[in-house]
Amino acid sequence: MSFLAFFFIVVSLVSFVAAQLILKRAMVASTTTGFRNARFVWKVTAGIILMTISFFLTLGLLQRFDLSYLYPFQGLSVIFITLTAAVVLKEKLNLRLTIGALLISVGIVLVSLS
Amino acid sequence: MPPHTTSLDMTTDGKRQMQNRPFGFGNPWLQLTLSVACVLVSEFLLKRGATEVANTDSAWSWTGLNGLASPLVWWAILLIIASFISWLYVLRYIPITIAFPLSRVVDILVPLGCWIFLGELISALRWCGIALVVIGLALVAKPIAQIEERL
Repeated sequence: MSFLAFFFIVVSLVSFVAAQLILKRAMVASTTTGFRNARFVWKVTAGIILMTISFFLTLGLLQRFDLSYLYPFQGLSVIFITLTAAVVLKEKLNLRLTIGALLISVGIVLVSLS
Repeated sequence: MPPHTTSLDMTTDGKRQMQNRPFGFGNPWLQLTLSVACVLVSEFLLKRGATEVANTDSAWSWTGLNGLASPLVWWAILLIIASFISWLYVLRYIPITIAFPLSRVVDILVPLGCWIFLGELISALRWCGIALVVIGLALVAKPIAQIEERL
């Protein structure tokens, strides 16, 4: 795998994780402030832009590599999002959830390696 | 867990949150299922669409924008938008530490779909991976009623 491919895989993953966290924040805030709120609109827009970047980078990668090759990296998003949500969003994370997320990640990697 | 909360409080609070959630079509668990179904179909469409119009000689193709030439990619985009709307709704009610791992059930549904509908073989290693994901999903899903969202 070339450096460029690795770079785009990482950028795609990071923008996807960031988008999920921003969208989660926006949707939770919407339960109290409603949808007609400048901060809500700004956050959803930022989330959508990041998701779009991640989407097109993935599409570009799919043209070069098999879906099964790119899947392990998507699998890593489970453990990344779980951990960053615990740190950034202060969501409660217990041992059970951590092990669950870890098993899902490892399982996805195994599915795509085989 | 903060010192002032007991596990009993967490369970009660978790149940109260579940009761406050909408039912019927607005049920966030139903929306999570719909979101996963849309992603599942879109994954197949995207791979076929992207391969159909692949032109890896062009530097621009790294952006994936040339994929838009395929109608299959546009169908996939429609499904992705639908799954995205469902997903936003899910995020409103379910902690992302639970919702996101559960949403990745799609990663084993893709190979299982290939096995059931396309007659593709699944290797022993792949079955092990699928088993790990299923155990992981069970671990994440079981304590749902006991986990409260703290934001």
